[in-house]
Amino acid sequence: MRRSIRTAFLLGTATLTVAACGGRTVDTSAPRAASSSITLAQADDPYFRTGQDILARIQAQQPNTNHAKNVILFVADGMGFATVTAARILEGQQRGVDGESNVLTFESFPYLAASKTYSSDAQVADSSPTAVAMVTGVKTRNAAMAVKHTVPVEDCQASLDNGAVTTIFEMAQAAGLATGVVSTARLTHATPGATHSHSPSRDWESDADMPAEALEMGCKDIARSMIEIPYGHGFDLALGGGRAYFLPETAADPEYEGKTGRRKDGRDLTVEWTDRHGAGSTYVWNKEQFDAINPATTGPVLGLFDMSHMQYDVDREKDAGGEPSLAEMTDKAIDILQAKAGDEGFILMVEGGRVDHALHAGNAARALTDAIAFDRAIKTAVDKVDLDETLIVVTADHGHTLTINGYPERGNPILGLAAWGGEPLLGDDGKPYTTLQFANGPGALKDAPRVDLTNVDTTDIDFVQPALVPLSSETHGGEDLGIYAIGPWAHLFQGTVEQNYIFHVMNHASKIGQRAGAMD
Amino acid sequence: MAGTTRRHLLLATTALGLVGVTRPGHAATRIKLRDIYGRGAAFSEEALALADRPVQIQGFMAPPLKPDASFFVLTKMPMAVCPFCDKEADWPQDIVLVRLRRQQDWVNFNLPILVTGTLSLGTEVDEETGFVSRVRLIDAAYERL
Ligand SMILES: [Zn+2]
Repeated sequence: MRRSIRTAFLLGTATLTVAACGGRTVDTSAPRAASSSITLAQADDPYFRTGQDILARIQAQQPNTNHAKNVILFVADGMGFATVTAARILEGQQRGVDGESNVLTFESFPYLAASKTYSSDAQVADSSPTAVAMVTGVKTRNAAMAVKHTVPVEDCQASLDNGAVTTIFEMAQAAGLATGVVSTARLTHATPGATHSHSPSRDWESDADMPAEALEMGCKDIARSMIEIPYGHGFDLALGGGRAYFLPETAADPEYEGKTGRRKDGRDLTVEWTDRHGAGSTYVWNKEQFDAINPATTGPVLGLFDMSHMQYDVDREKDAGGEPSLAEMTDKAIDILQAKAGDEGFILMVEGGRVDHALHAGNAARALTDAIAFDRAIKTAVDKVDLDETLIVVTADHGHTLTINGYPERGNPILGLAAWGGEPLLGDDGKPYTTLQFANGPGALKDAPRVDLTNVDTTDIDFVQPALVPLSSETHGGEDLGIYAIGPWAHLFQGTVEQNYIFHVMNHASKIGQRAGAMD
Repeated sequence: MAGTTRRHLLLATTALGLVGVTRPGHAATRIKLRDIYGRGAAFSEEALALADRPVQIQGFMAPPLKPDASFFVLTKMPMAVCPFCDKEADWPQDIVLVRLRRQQDWVNFNLPILVTGTLSLGTEVDEETGFVSRVRLIDAAYERL
C-alpha cells in the first residue's frame, strides 16, 4: 500500500511536464497497419500517458482486507472540493511547480467516495451533526452533539432520558484501545467534542455556557465530559485549543496577561486530568512543554495551547506561548498512541479545525494555508504508520460557498485576479474579479457597487474575497464532499454514500464495536 | 515578558511627553496592522520605532458603538460586530482604537479605509468608557480607498 502512494506522487510529478511540452506535432506519414486502423495521434501526448499510468495503477490496486489495528480519521472542518482544488493549486504554486496538476498527499489515496452531509433536520449541516455522523453511525440534528435525532436541541432532559448515542471512541476506550483527539480548534468545539459529548447543544462548551436548569438536571458541559469519560481511562491524549473552558474564572491564564479561565463551578479540569491519570500524566500549554514530552514514557497527555482556538498556521510564529503545528501534534500523537497501543491498536481523530473559520471570515488565504498544513499532518501520518494495518480516512464535515470561477489562464495565481496573458478579465461593470469568490459573507457590500480591485493585492494573507450576499459570517455549503481512504477496507469507500457510513467502515475494519461488546 | 514590554513602553511614552499634531498625508509612515505586533503581545521593532509618530494604517472600520462617537476600532479584516457591544466576544488582538480629530461619516465595516494619525502604544483605559486598548491612532482622520 505504501507503494501506491509513491506511485501517485510520481504521477503528480509526471503531469508537471505537461504544461511545459503540450502541443506536439503529429507524424501523418506513419504507415498504416491495416485499412481499418488509424494512428493514435495522441499516443505520445503526456496527458494521454498520464491517463494510461492512472489506469495501470488503479488496475493493480488490491483490496486490503486485513484487520485494521489502527484507525486515523482526519477531518478538515469545512473543506469542500473547491477548497481542496484551490489548496492543491496554491501548494504547488508555493513550491514553484504546476499547481493545477499538483497532488496533495490525501489525493494520492487509492479510494474515494462522495459524502452526503445533510443532517437529520437541515439541508446544510453544521459541524456537530456531521461529526456525530462520522463517529456514531447516525445522523442527528444541527447543533446537537452525540444524541439521537429525536432529542431536541438544548433539551437536557431528553438527552439524559436514554438520548445519548455511543461513539466509536467510547467503544474503543471500553475495548482497551489507545485513543486520542487532536484539533487546532477548541477541544470543546463540535468536531473533537463529538467524540465523547452527549450534550444536546454544541454551545455548552463550559458550565458558564449552559442554562442553570440544564446544570441542575445533570447535563455536562463538553470540557467536563472529556475529562470524565467513563469508559476505560478515557483519552490517552487530547491536544488542541480551548484552555479557558477547562480553567476556573478565578485562575489566571498562563499565556495571556489579565485573562482568566471561564468556568463558574470553580473546577480546574487540567488538575483533574492529572489527578485522574496519576503519575506520568501531564498537562501542557506551550510548545516547549509539548516538545519535552517523551512519547515512550508519558502517561495521558492533555495539551491546551490557547485560551480559545489555536492560531492559524500562518500566524503560529507570532503566538505568545508558542504552539506546535498540526503535523507536529499528529507526529507526537501517533508516537504516544503506538507506545500505548500494544496489541490492541489505537484510534485517533485529527481535525484541521480552522479551515472552516477562515472560510467563515471570507479569507481564502488562511483557509488554503490551513488546508495545506492539514495535508502535511496527513503526510506525517502516512510516513509513520504501517498502512497494512492502519486505516486512514480523510474527509471534511461540510462544505462552504467558495467557488473557483472565471477563465483564468493555466498557472494564474490562485489567490489573484482572474487573468489571461497578464491582463485581468473584466466583469460587465468593467472591473476585474478574483478567481476565488464566495456566494455570501463579509466580502459582500450592502447596496453598493463592487470594489475596483485593479490596484489591490488580492494575494495578501488578510485579503477578504468578494461575495454576493452580505452576511457577517460566510455560511456552510451543502454539497457532497470527498472521503479519501487508504489501508485495510479502504476499498469500501466508493460511490455516493451517507456521511454516517464512515463510522460503519471504520467499525467494520477495526471491529471496535464487537471488541467492546457493543455490536455483533 | 509582555508585562515588561508594556511597563517599558509606558515609561517611554511618559518620557516623551506631549505628542505632536498629525497632518494627514504629511510624513506619515505606512505600517501594516498585522506588523504592529511581534510575538504574542509584544510590539514589533517596526512599531516601536514609529511610536508617537505619524503613521498610516489600512484596514476596516468595525461598527461604531454609537453614531456620535468620536472613536472607532480599526480591524485588519472586516468585522461585522461592534467590538464594545459584546464584552464576551473573542476579539482579535491586532485591533487599533482610532480617536478622530473631528467627526467623520461612518463607513461600512467591509470597505477598506486608510487612517492617518499618531501611533500610541501601550495599555490604556479610556476614562469615559472604560475600554481597554493597547494600540491607538490619535488625532486621526481617514479616507476611503
Ligand atoms: Zn463552520
